[in-house]
Amino acid sequence: MNLLISLTALGVVAMFGGILKFRSMVMPLSVLGLIGASLLGVYAWNTNQSFLNDMMRMDNYAIAFSIVCMAGTLLTILFFHFFHSENEIHYAEAVALMLFAVAGCAVMVSFTNLLMLFLGIEILSLSLYVLAGLRKKDLLSNESSLKYFLMGAFSTGFLLFGIALLYGATGSFATTQIAYQLGIAGMNGMAAMGLLLLMIGLLFKVAAVPFQFWTPDVYQGAPTIVTAFMATVGKVAAFAAFLRLFQLCFAPSKEGYQLVIGTVAAITMLAGNIMAIYQSSTKRMLAYSSIAHAGYMLIAVMTLNASSNGSILFYSVAYTLASISSFLIVMVVQQNRNNDTADDFNGLGKTNPWIAFALAVSMLSLSGIPATAGFFGKFYVFSSAVSDGFIWVVAVAVISSFISIYYYFRPVIAAYSKQTHDPVMTMPAGTQALLILLSLLTILLGILPGFIAGII
Amino acid sequence: MLTSAFYFIAFVTVFFAVMVIAAKNPVHSVLYLVLTFFGISANYIFILDAPFVGIVNIIVYAGAIMVLFLFVIMLMNLNAEAEHRKSNAFLIVGAFAGGSLLLIVVDAIRKVDWKSVSGQESSGGAIGSIKVLGKVLYTDYILPFEVASVLFLVAIVGAVILARKEKLPLTVGQISHPVSES
Amino acid sequence: MNLSGVLIPFVPLLGFIINGLGFPKVSKRWAAWIGCGSVFISFLIASVLFIQSLTGSFESTTISLFDWIVAGNINVGFSFFIDHLTLIMLMIVTGVGFLIHVYSVGYMHDDEGFGKFFSYMNLFIFFMLVLVMGANFVMMFIGWEGVGLCSYLLIGFWWKNREYSAAANKAFIMNRIGDLGFILGIFLMFITFGSSDFDKVFAGSSAFATNDHVMVAITLLLFIGAIGKSAQIPLYTWLPDAMAGPTPVSALIHAATMVTAGVYMVARSNILYSIAPISLEVVTVVGLATAVLSALIAITQSDIKKVLAYSTVSQLGYMFVAEGSSAYSSGIFHLMTHAFFKALLFLGAGSVIHALHHEQNLRKMGGLRKLLPVTFITMFAATLAISGFPPFAGFFSKDEILVATYEKSPAVFWILAATSVLTAAYMFRLLFLTFYGEYRGGHHQHEHIHESPRVMTVPLMILAVLSTLGGFLGLPALFGDTHWLSHYLEPVFAANTRLTEHSESSLLEIMIVVLTVIVIAVIWWWCNEKYVKKKVAPAIVEDQLPLWYKLSYNKFYVDEIYDRVIIKPLEWMGDFFYGKFEANVIDGAVNGLGRMTVWLSGQLRKIQTGNIGFYVLSMVIGIVLLLIYGLSKMNLF
Repeated sequence: MNLLISLTALGVVAMFGGILKFRSMVMPLSVLGLIGASLLGVYAWNTNQSFLNDMMRMDNYAIAFSIVCMAGTLLTILFFHFFHSENEIHYAEAVALMLFAVAGCAVMVSFTNLLMLFLGIEILSLSLYVLAGLRKKDLLSNESSLKYFLMGAFSTGFLLFGIALLYGATGSFATTQIAYQLGIAGMNGMAAMGLLLLMIGLLFKVAAVPFQFWTPDVYQGAPTIVTAFMATVGKVAAFAAFLRLFQLCFAPSKEGYQLVIGTVAAITMLAGNIMAIYQSSTKRMLAYSSIAHAGYMLIAVMTLNASSNGSILFYSVAYTLASISSFLIVMVVQQNRNNDTADDFNGLGKTNPWIAFALAVSMLSLSGIPATAGFFGKFYVFSSAVSDGFIWVVAVAVISSFISIYYYFRPVIAAYSKQTHDPVMTMPAGTQALLILLSLLTILLGILPGFIAGII
Repeated sequence: MLTSAFYFIAFVTVFFAVMVIAAKNPVHSVLYLVLTFFGISANYIFILDAPFVGIVNIIVYAGAIMVLFLFVIMLMNLNAEAEHRKSNAFLIVGAFAGGSLLLIVVDAIRKVDWKSVSGQESSGGAIGSIKVLGKVLYTDYILPFEVASVLFLVAIVGAVILARKEKLPLTVGQISHPVSES
Repeated sequence: MNLSGVLIPFVPLLGFIINGLGFPKVSKRWAAWIGCGSVFISFLIASVLFIQSLTGSFESTTISLFDWIVAGNINVGFSFFIDHLTLIMLMIVTGVGFLIHVYSVGYMHDDEGFGKFFSYMNLFIFFMLVLVMGANFVMMFIGWEGVGLCSYLLIGFWWKNREYSAAANKAFIMNRIGDLGFILGIFLMFITFGSSDFDKVFAGSSAFATNDHVMVAITLLLFIGAIGKSAQIPLYTWLPDAMAGPTPVSALIHAATMVTAGVYMVARSNILYSIAPISLEVVTVVGLATAVLSALIAITQSDIKKVLAYSTVSQLGYMFVAEGSSAYSSGIFHLMTHAFFKALLFLGAGSVIHALHHEQNLRKMGGLRKLLPVTFITMFAATLAISGFPPFAGFFSKDEILVATYEKSPAVFWILAATSVLTAAYMFRLLFLTFYGEYRGGHHQHEHIHESPRVMTVPLMILAVLSTLGGFLGLPALFGDTHWLSHYLEPVFAANTRLTEHSESSLLEIMIVVLTVIVIAVIWWWCNEKYVKKKVAPAIVEDQLPLWYKLSYNKFYVDEIYDRVIIKPLEWMGDFFYGKFEANVIDGAVNGLGRMTVWLSGQLRKIQTGNIGFYVLSMVIGIVLLLIYGLSKMNLF
């Protein structure tokens, strides 16, 4: 609760930073504030407190995911600061929106009432709609924003319809009450419809096939830093909310819908990875890659057992680390070489060895090669699915992982084995150090996964 | 009596909703939408005994939002000719998909054995009154109520960003864009 | 209380990081201080714990740092286990390791890769400590792999020489064969006990009957790992080749510590082995065969380091024979004394090589007694120790092993005793060829020969003292005290209910003492006749040699046999699969699959038209399908 209040207050402060002209303070204040809020979260660890008529509960699950989202936001804000001048017209407002978005994430991961879930999703989404259109004079950015908004509104309709039907079937928005009523009365048509519509709404938010259509266009058009934000913080929060909802409300009747999610997961992994192959733009490739990763994470939602929470947390951390750094590298390449095809990574290993190193680590992690965090992310998710007997889903996942190696390695191979005459890439100070830090964390988690995996 | 009134209002509402889509002229569409909102509000006020929600619905949706819609449509000078023609195949497939969605939802809910659905809060006459609503909103639902304010704050900041003028050349994509915007 | 124990491995790791990242910016002086200092700090901490254990204020503990791998029911903790056995190993690894580090400062002084060398050495110490401190077999395996990696890096330290790189590769590959066995053993352990933690595995094993198939399988698989790491038949040939590395590396890794990992592992898993006497038999036979064979090879080698390498292999065989006879503490005792005198021998050989400007051929040495007095005296002590001359260290440890085997099987005892004679023979041959007689190298070189600097000789002297007196830690009953070390290690083996008690026979002891003295006197006389009175030819002509000499000199052609029987057929198969099979079958299939995927990608891509109306329509169709599927799954459709 304190965490949520401080995040919102931080957003307001950042917003006023733009109006009252203390822009230079916005970044330091946000960073400090996010660290402070994380500490509040750590302080509340194990307290498992619920607030205000059980609207939200700060259990360890909520705190862990809040901290992951805040860490992602912190990185995004830092990178945003590196690449954008404080004097830019929307600097403070953009930071404020990111902070509001993460407040929405905190609501999404801690809800125990469907109203809160809905509000959290809307706060996050609305911030993202605007952030996607941050480059107002860029037609692609406009298109991205508008498409995201239209499709998001469309999916929100299903989400609300689902909530309404569940209310009709159980007479409550509270997750405990819903689970209790469903336990007594069993699944009837209305509740099942509500469940499925909620699932559809959330599948849209996590960009699973066949609700992935918005993702490539939106991710490509949005400013790259915003894309990184959407693909990491937005996706992690959506998954945390998805899993939390199903753990809290629908876990006992999981036999009914497990196969539905499993099928969606399998199609998502395959389609995402296969479509990624053909992309020439690395940024768009990463958009498809994020679709594929949604498929992997859906496996954990599907299994819905005791280890799902931990495995999806680890996956989120691994994915966030690798994804943010790969989007950032794409951005650096875009700015230096004016394009982001695989050829633009040529010779990166010679000109900017550290950036090439970070690229290699993040791509290895995304494709799930051992000794990186991504490997254990996949390992945990897959092994819990196997232990529940979903071998076919894991088989599909492994096959699609193999497919993914093909496109993840393309920029890495270009960076190391091809030559270039282009000059050394330049980038704002601090970018490289932060990228190296992210890579080291990825490797550290790949060697010592126990730090995070067993935490919740 | 109440049942037949509900069916009448519901029919009118659905009819206008269909007309929103069917109308060629965008201005007509908007006006049909206003009528649809009136239908919904009538439902709130007369059937569900929730006059406050009904009136707010009229004020906010039919009043404020729809007027805004009309302004935009008129400013952009949209009319029947401006609409993009969809191919017939597209329309047929769309109608089929939408129709089956409707059928599935209706079918699933229709089959529910209403006696087994428990936990319905009894709708005593006062449930929709301002007093009860205010009480519930400021006690049980205070947190969502407050969190909703964050949502509005986001909307305001977003509006500010979108509305402020920017002196930049028009571009497509970020590829050949300068590093710094200002 | 033992939290400080956690620091023991991590201080050298820190040294590795500093030297590794700093190279070549850190000056040699600082690299030396950091490299030696970090090991010394570990040694100090280990000593404190050791002293605590002597005064009785120590209890064996498991320190769990964090959960390392959690997957389903499997939970592998990143945790350390310290008991008396660990402490002995810690003292050996950090103590001898520190001395060798100091020695390296002198030996590697002129090398370009000075800092790199110390970073590798520190990394090795780290992994070795993880190996002996790990509280489960997975941790042990990490150390096991890590020391293998460092060994590889250090054997190939002078990688510009292709032969050295080849030796490094050979060591690496042969070790992989062993590691495969080890890791399979761990898997089997997980299947059987659901864990690899020492306490759980050992506690769980008591439920098994003697010679249970699973236990035999686990112990044999683990022993395959030990065969690779500790260079036993048939995977021993990498160790002599590993002498390509700098001599301190040979002393530290390939004599004192890493190669004894297998011995440590068997001692650690003594409960498992005692349940599977069949495996113990295998351990004895392999150890015995290795001890004999490599002693036979050592007796004719002319490279000073090769002699010592085969000697190491032979002595490791000794340790395995001890363990195979259930005399685990004797194995560890010999491991310890061997660490002292073999490290000393290698360092002494290094000192000779250093003085002779990298001349390693025994036949080109001779008469160095006067020129290298410190090296000579220390090596002399070591030779007496390894030959088992009372009261030097080697005597007592060998004596324990011999007594233990005599109870088990007199045949083993006699073969082992004969091997001891061979040991004395090749060691005195080495000593005489190096230090006695006349110098057989060029005159030009002769003038430049000088004793090594202090930084190298002081570790030699310390090790000489240890080699001389180290045996008193395990005095047999005949000489007063009663086996201090084996009492110290008793808690380690206390849980093992199937150990047989060893009885001691004074008669046997006296016989061994007398025989040893006589044999060594005879060998002394014979060497004097052969290497001092007669002239030694600087080169030998192979055709004129007697058959047994030729066999031994060519190491019984084992490398050649491996080449014919294993490597050549593998190469042929590789050629076949690469040339024919892969080009036509695999490539075709893979390329076809790849092309198909790319084609599919091109087709699927087209659904991303960018048209929102189309997107919404597709999504509605998706929703309809999903609802139908979901509702029918829930039997509501």
